This record gives sequence, C-alpha cells and structure tokens, in this order.
Amino acid sequence: MKKITANKVLCYIVTVLVIAIILFPIIWMLPAAFKSKREIWQIPNTFFPKHFTTENFEKIFSLNHNGYNFLRSLGATFLVATVSVVGSLAVNMTAAYVFARLEFRGKKFLWVYFLATMFIPSITILLTSIRVVSALGMTDSLAVLILPGLVSGYNIFFFRQFYLGMPASLEEAAAIDGCKPFGVFLRIFLPMSVTPMIIIGVSTFMGYWNSFMWPTLTIINNSSIAQVMQVIRVLKTSYSGEYGIVIAATLLAIAPPLLIFAIFQKKIVAGIAISGLK
Amino acid sequence: MAEFNPMDRPDRRRRNRFRYRNAKYAYCMLLPAFLLLTVFVIVPLLMAVVRSFQEYRTGKFVWFYNYEYVLGLKALFKSGAASDFLISFGNALLFTAVITVSMVVLTFLFALVLKNMNNRLGSVAKTLIYVPFFISGIIASIIFSLLTNFGGGLINSILISLGADPVAFETQGILPYIAVIVPTIWLGFGYNTLVMYAGILNIPKEYYEAASIDGANGWRKMIHITIPNMKNYFVLIVINLVTANMQMMEVPYMMTGGGPLKKTLTPVLYLFNCFRDANRPENSTIAGAIVVMLFIAAVNAFVFKAVRSEKSQDL
Repeated sequence: MKKITANKVLCYIVTVLVIAIILFPIIWMLPAAFKSKREIWQIPNTFFPKHFTTENFEKIFSLNHNGYNFLRSLGATFLVATVSVVGSLAVNMTAAYVFARLEFRGKKFLWVYFLATMFIPSITILLTSIRVVSALGMTDSLAVLILPGLVSGYNIFFFRQFYLGMPASLEEAAAIDGCKPFGVFLRIFLPMSVTPMIIIGVSTFMGYWNSFMWPTLTIINNSSIAQVMQVIRVLKTSYSGEYGIVIAATLLAIAPPLLIFAIFQKKIVAGIAISGLK
Repeated sequence: MAEFNPMDRPDRRRRNRFRYRNAKYAYCMLLPAFLLLTVFVIVPLLMAVVRSFQEYRTGKFVWFYNYEYVLGLKALFKSGAASDFLISFGNALLFTAVITVSMVVLTFLFALVLKNMNNRLGSVAKTLIYVPFFISGIIASIIFSLLTNFGGGLINSILISLGADPVAFETQGILPYIAVIVPTIWLGFGYNTLVMYAGILNIPKEYYEAASIDGANGWRKMIHITIPNMKNYFVLIVINLVTANMQMMEVPYMMTGGGPLKKTLTPVLYLFNCFRDANRPENSTIAGAIVVMLFIAAVNAFVFKAVRSEKSQDL
C-alpha cells in the first residue's frame, strides 16, 4: 500500500513539473509584451514589468512597415484560413465519401493517385508550384494562398476510414427513396461527420494560419494580403531593437489558434486517439 | 482472375452495370479534388522531375548533372570536401536521430505517468501539454529567443546574476544544436504524448491481469506487455518524426539562421535559400529537393516493410 502511494505522489510531481516546463516559455512571454524596449533585455531580467506600458500594442496596432499592416495581416490570414477550412472540408469529404461508398472504374488507380500525394514534401514541388500559379496568373492573390493546399490525401484517408465504419443500411434506405449519391452524402453522411469535421477543420485552420514558406514566396507585391507568419518574420528582422513590438505581435498571432483550441479542446484531444490509429 | 467463360459475359456485364450504376456521380464528385490535386501537386511534381534532368537555361537534357551539382559526390570522393547540401543533409540526420530518440523516450515515459493519473490533474495535463502544437516554428523561435538571447535573455540573466559569463546560443559549442532541438521537441511533445497515451489505453486490461496472476512485477509487465503491444505506435511516431524532422526549416531559420558555419543548416532551409538566390541554377536546387523526397519515401517504405514482414512472421 505504501509503495502505491509513493508512486502516486511521484506521478503528481512529474505531471505538474511537465506542465510547468511546457507552459513556461509561453507564460514568460506574456508580461514581456508590456515591457518597454529598454526593460525587455534588462539584466537581471524580471518576470513582471517594472514600468507597465501598452506602447508595444499601440505601435503594433498602428504599424505600417513597408506596407505591412499587422492587424490587416491578422484579418487576411483569418479570411484565408476560414475559407480554406470550408473549401477543404467540402472537397476532401466528398472525395472520401466517393472512395468509401461508390464503385467506379479506375477506383484503385485514383485512390493511389490521391494517397501518394501524402508523401510529397512541400519543398520538392515548391518552385514548380510557383511556376504553375504564376502561369495561371494567381500570384499575389487570395487564390494562391487558398487553392493549392485544399486537397489533402491524409484528410481524405481520415474521412474515408470514418465513413467505412458507418453501417450500409443508412444509405440503402435513402437510395430506395430515390436519393442520388450526392443527396445521400449531404443528408446522411455530412450531418454524421461533425466530430471528424472539427478535428480535421481545426488542423486545416492551423496549417493555414501557421503557413510561412508558401506565402513568403507567393505574396510579394501585395502586402495587403500578407499572411501573419510572414509579417512576424519581417518584424523580427526589422524591429530587433524594439523586441516588445515583436512579442506583442506574437501574442496576438497565437491568440486565435489557442482560442479555437480552447473551444474544441475535448473533441481535439479525444480525436488524437482516433487519428493516431492509422 | 476467374477463368474465361464466354457464357457468363452478359451476366457479368449486367452485374457490372449494377455495380457501377453510380459511376457518373462518383466521377462528378471526385472532379474538384482531382483537378486541384492534378494542377497543384501532380503537375508541379512531374515538372520538378523533368526539370531536375534538364539544363536550366536551355532545357537540354543533362540527366544526372544537376544531381551531381547539388550533391557534389565527385568532390567528396576526391578531396573529402562535402557540398553544402550534403552538410545540411548530415545535420538533418543528426537532428532527426536526436529528436526522434528523445521524443519517443520522453513521450512514452510521460504517457505512462498520465495513465496513472485518472483524475482532474491528468485531464488538465492532457490539454495543457498540447498547447504548443498550435504554435508555429516561427512563433516558437520568437518565444524561445526571450530565453536564449545573448544580450538579456532569461538564461544569460540568470548566469550573470550567478557571476558566470553569458553564453551565445547562436555560436557557442553545442548550444546552437540545443537552440534548434529544444524548441522542436517542445512543439511536438504534447501531440506525441497523446498518441502514446492512446496506444497504452488500447492494450487490453486482461493482459495485465493475467500477468499479475502469474506473479509478474511492474517491470516485467512493462517489458513483456506494454512495450511489445505499443510497437505499432512506436513505428507510427518514428515515421512521423523522421518525415517531419528531415524537413525541418522554420526553427533553424529563425533560431540560428543555419549557422554557425552551416552547423545547423538543414536541407529544406538550404534549398529555400537557394530558391531565393537568383544566382543559383534552380534546376539543381530542384534535384536536391527530389533527393529529400526520395530519402523520406525510402525511410517510409523500409519501415512499413519491416513492420509488415514481422507481422506475417507472427501469424
């Protein structure tokens, strides 16, 4: 009995310690956004600012650096990420439904065609993708940010696994009532996919919100739709002397993803158990 | 394949007509995904493969010249001087090895701890350790620079108050490696712990009960039940980590810029810099990017094959 209690105590200590270590860098950053540019690198460094100031936020709100406006980039990124989540769910879920439920010639080939793209690193097709989008006249537009990443072999695979587990009697009844496949998908499969939609939707949002390399190389002459990671990188190089501004921007940039995580955390954490089982 | 019998052909045709009755809907519903994938992934991939064999100005086929240009194998064998790409590749292998091993060990151990925490703290921990997963490499680097900055980061502030000399994370000894490895582990720790945890929960309780009846202690249960039953999860995590870390770019780009002396340069960072350098023949850069893809595909195929053949031996 004694041994078990000692074990429990150890587990408690380790858990608390791990939480503290993981959260420490984020917590340490929070008050730094309210420090003046002199205080932020002061030695000895203190957690709380001695002179509380909001000037970093005032500066970041009114920032206009080479046409980069930080608030605007937050808005542009949010727009791109939201539209992409909707578009990507629509495209990937219909494809997954087709692969899970319909029979057609060339199914095997197309399945491999879709899945194989999971194994292509983005760097391999980076330059030629840029050639393709500029040939299509899409450079510096919202389309170049949204369209290329919409289809995901992994997401199709994930939804297909989910649909394969659903009973066939569901759509047989609907088919007898004269429902065509698209109707079956819209009326039966779509309403039943809320949980996987949240899991995949959130990860798609994160992918777009955090994307850096692609916007950096494709949004060059249109700073009004520059993406937030791209702007933060520019700020880090240009405002190394006023690091409080960079920290304030960073705080604002991690707020939307963390808010979304806070809203859906139960579903997301539970979802890892499902998505881990490939 | 069934034997050819002319008698069942009409029958099969009728069967096929029923089987494929919804084919036109299937094609229509697949069309958007197919078009997007073809235009934005398959076409660029084919272009990349073709261009990796071409001279970049004239389009003349030079076959493996670009590969040799970026890999620099001749120079390596002649004088032992590795090209920048090979250096970066070696760095990535080192990073991947260190990160993968530490990640698997740390997340497995912590998942075991979490298994004993069937309470409020346990579920809070599962949520909180997952937070960094929502943060990009760019942001993580900014957050960590508050700790590692030479002029007044937290670590140097502590060192100076203790009377020690400040350390330069960007240049000194093994510190640049740490400046890349620690934030990367921090970013993925929560996710991988939760995958491990899911795996541990999936092991049937009866196994442990049976072992207890046989008088097995905790350690033996771990060796003979937990670890063997977790094999698929280890494989999954290792594949994910190798794939992701061989493509590591944002953290070294922001933390060390690939320095000092290319010690933390990674292939993707190197290729990214090459793409932005107008003086680099871009087709050789593409060739380098294809080498990265082939390496990752080979690792994936090898691990899958190894797992599969072991499984068939079990049967």
